[in-house]
Amino acid sequence: MFMTARRLRSMGWIATLVVCAALVMVLAFRVNALRSQVHQSQARIIALRQETMYLETEFETRANQQQLKAWNDVEFGYVAPTSAQYLDNERQLAAYAKPIEPDAPAPIRVASADDSVVAAAVFPAMVSPMTGKPTGAADNSAPAARPTHEAADAPAARSAGLATLSDRLGTVPHAATGTHKVGKDAKSKLAKAKPVKDKASKDKLAKGDKASGDKASGDKARHAVATRTVPSHDRSASGARLAGADTHRRAGVGHASGSPLIKLALKDAKTVK
Amino acid sequence: MNATRPQPVLSNAISTASATGRLHFANLRQRSLLTAKLRLVWVVVGFAFFALTAFVRIAQLGLGAQNPAEGAAGDGLAPPRAEITDRNGVPLARAFPAYSLWFDPKALGSKGLPLVKTPEEVARALVQIFPSEDYDDLLARLKAGKGTYLRRRVLPEEANKVFALGEPALEFPREIQRFYPQGTLAAHVLGFVDADGKGKLGMEAYLNARLTDKAHLSEPVALSIDSRAQGAMEDELAHEMLLTHAKGAAGIVLDVDTGEVIALASLPSFDPNRSDLADNDHVKNRATNEVYELGSTFKPFTIASAIEAGVVTDMAVRYPATPLKVDGYTIHDHESYGATLNVPETLIHSSNIVAAEIADKLGGQRLRDTMIALGMNQRANIELPAKGFPIWPRGDWPRLRTMTVGFGHGLAVTPLHLAQGYAALVNGGIWRPATLFKVDPAHASAGRRVFQASTSARIRQLLRLIVVDGTGRSANAPGYRVGGKTGTAEKAGSNGSGYKNKHAVIATFAAAFPMDKPRYVVIAMLDEPQANQSTSGQRTAAWNAAPVVGRVVPRIGPLLGVVPDGRRDVDVSDLTPLVANGEGE
Repeated sequence: MFMTARRLRSMGWIATLVVCAALVMVLAFRVNALRSQVHQSQARIIALRQETMYLETEFETRANQQQLKAWNDVEFGYVAPTSAQYLDNERQLAAYAKPIEPDAPAPIRVASADDSVVAAAVFPAMVSPMTGKPTGAADNSAPAARPTHEAADAPAARSAGLATLSDRLGTVPHAATGTHKVGKDAKSKLAKAKPVKDKASKDKLAKGDKASGDKASGDKARHAVATRTVPSHDRSASGARLAGADTHRRAGVGHASGSPLIKLALKDAKTVK
Repeated sequence: MNATRPQPVLSNAISTASATGRLHFANLRQRSLLTAKLRLVWVVVGFAFFALTAFVRIAQLGLGAQNPAEGAAGDGLAPPRAEITDRNGVPLARAFPAYSLWFDPKALGSKGLPLVKTPEEVARALVQIFPSEDYDDLLARLKAGKGTYLRRRVLPEEANKVFALGEPALEFPREIQRFYPQGTLAAHVLGFVDADGKGKLGMEAYLNARLTDKAHLSEPVALSIDSRAQGAMEDELAHEMLLTHAKGAAGIVLDVDTGEVIALASLPSFDPNRSDLADNDHVKNRATNEVYELGSTFKPFTIASAIEAGVVTDMAVRYPATPLKVDGYTIHDHESYGATLNVPETLIHSSNIVAAEIADKLGGQRLRDTMIALGMNQRANIELPAKGFPIWPRGDWPRLRTMTVGFGHGLAVTPLHLAQGYAALVNGGIWRPATLFKVDPAHASAGRRVFQASTSARIRQLLRLIVVDGTGRSANAPGYRVGGKTGTAEKAGSNGSGYKNKHAVIATFAAAFPMDKPRYVVIAMLDEPQANQSTSGQRTAAWNAAPVVGRVVPRIGPLLGVVPDGRRDVDVSDLTPLVANGEGE
């Protein structure tokens, strides 16, 4: 019995030893496996970097100065901007604005003039079709979402014959802030949608500049871009009217709920409520 | 026998047995203890061994292979020769695994013919693909039956064409070679690398040790060159060269405050990717290696030196402008601009006579000292190995020599000398060595003062006046406040004496911009431009070199941070009333 216990104990020690050895081996294998993975990744990084280098070099070669010049001569015909195309500051830019004359076009109205339409237009677009929650609600740190709720509540409450919160409180400033915010939201949303086009045109210009080999640099150079985009500025100014029209169109879509996506969003929103 | 054997006594037997049994047990116990201890020792040793192994392994992993990324990956990415980039990081020279064309006669087995077609057919096809190759030479190499390079650098398209010939003996091993993505751009600045991997010419030669230093292989060397400005300069010079059928051209853009060379062009150029073709006349660097008498562009130096010495104190003082006879030679002007001229008119009309008179009044010693201070008596300060030594009149300058140097003859320098001199003229009077390395403006060379700031300010006015009212009008890029001086000098004969061919001239325009606070000096030089329709039948710098500057400045100005402004300019109102209208050279 005594011998057996001793033997068992030694066997136990041996078993522990074997287990330890096995664990060390497992560790060693895992380390080696990981290491070979690292090596593989390294080899891949090297291959990719070399590939990048080849492509970059090929690009540099195909787009070298002489080639760009040849393209510009044949295709684009860009020339260096003249001094008249550079502006020092915003004041100079503002100097381009014409004073109002008798036969001047009507002043531009901003898109947020019709609040109810804007408010109605805002709601469907702000709801995530996946979660049914307002997109801003995911993170609580987005107070911008709140006016949307209010705005969304307003028509619903009105339609139910109930007084809105602002009506009940009777605080004009609050209501004004609310609608202002809504308007702001709508505007920012529109602004988000619109500048894509502007940005694209700017990018195009910038690319054009680059292609001509005369990319402007420095602070004033940025103004140069601004000047070159003066037509697009004008466009965005007159575009404000277009933006208004756009809002109406959007509002129409919101009301009609023609898009299946929006229908789904509205359904989800109702379910959540 | 067995019966007689005495039987052991039982008691004895018992006692003996018990004694031996005790002993046995005692021994057994002792032995067991020993065994147990031994086993324990083994276990401890085993544990210690494994613990040690694990510890060593952990230590090895933790310390030895600490950062594998820096080892293998780093080595794999380091090129055999470091990159050269421009000041904005655009690669100008890099290691690139390009194709080469290798002839392996044993590709089809050691027996039989090495080529499918006849060597003549293959050679003819190769010459069609590579027109610069020599048919006979190719044929000889194909017939020799030895493995050899047929061509060191083959473009992928060319490799495809050769592949289409269907000759297994023509192979395309990829070899890491020096590649210049911008082609001929800044070829004279970069130089090239020969077949043995040694840098030749330009910065490849100057930086050979640095570029092959194993510790810095992955760190590119940034030059001061701006590839966009370089491209614009080369482009405009090449355009003018074509228009005027000039033999060559040189152009420099130099930062006046740091001495950085932003562009340095010499035309005709060569393709550093074709090092086999680089060994020709085109490798001569006209901007730093060839020396020329740069003519009237030296007149501002004379005037500045005279203002500095107090010889010229009043811009309104008039000097006689009738042909001047000195030691049997007559100094003429291009045209007659009246009996007398003042200093602004002298520069505007580029009067040799008045410049000579002022130099004469200044004296040889003082003019010489100014020229020495501007570094005109030694090789240009730049890293390039190709630096020409000026033709510098030794000893004391006699009167005639002083007068000719006063209007830019009798002293031949490189365009780079001129650029450095002009930088000192306009930057407030500090001469700085030129450099092809990117310099932090805070650590720019201190340089040495050659002119006082007031002299420099006066020269800036005068140079601006030349472009507004004088010979440099075609360089007047609107809004860039360019100032500069034209210079058209007849080329001296090959032995340095006599001006045999009146039509062989060097036309130079040395300019700086913006003149209210100069940032860059721009030099454009044309070697033997011809008079034709494009230059209204003229071959003077006003008609060929100045327009180059006029076109280059608007292209490079915005890139280099100089914004055109039509409402700013140098105040020249005190000089304008002194100038009568007229033309000159």
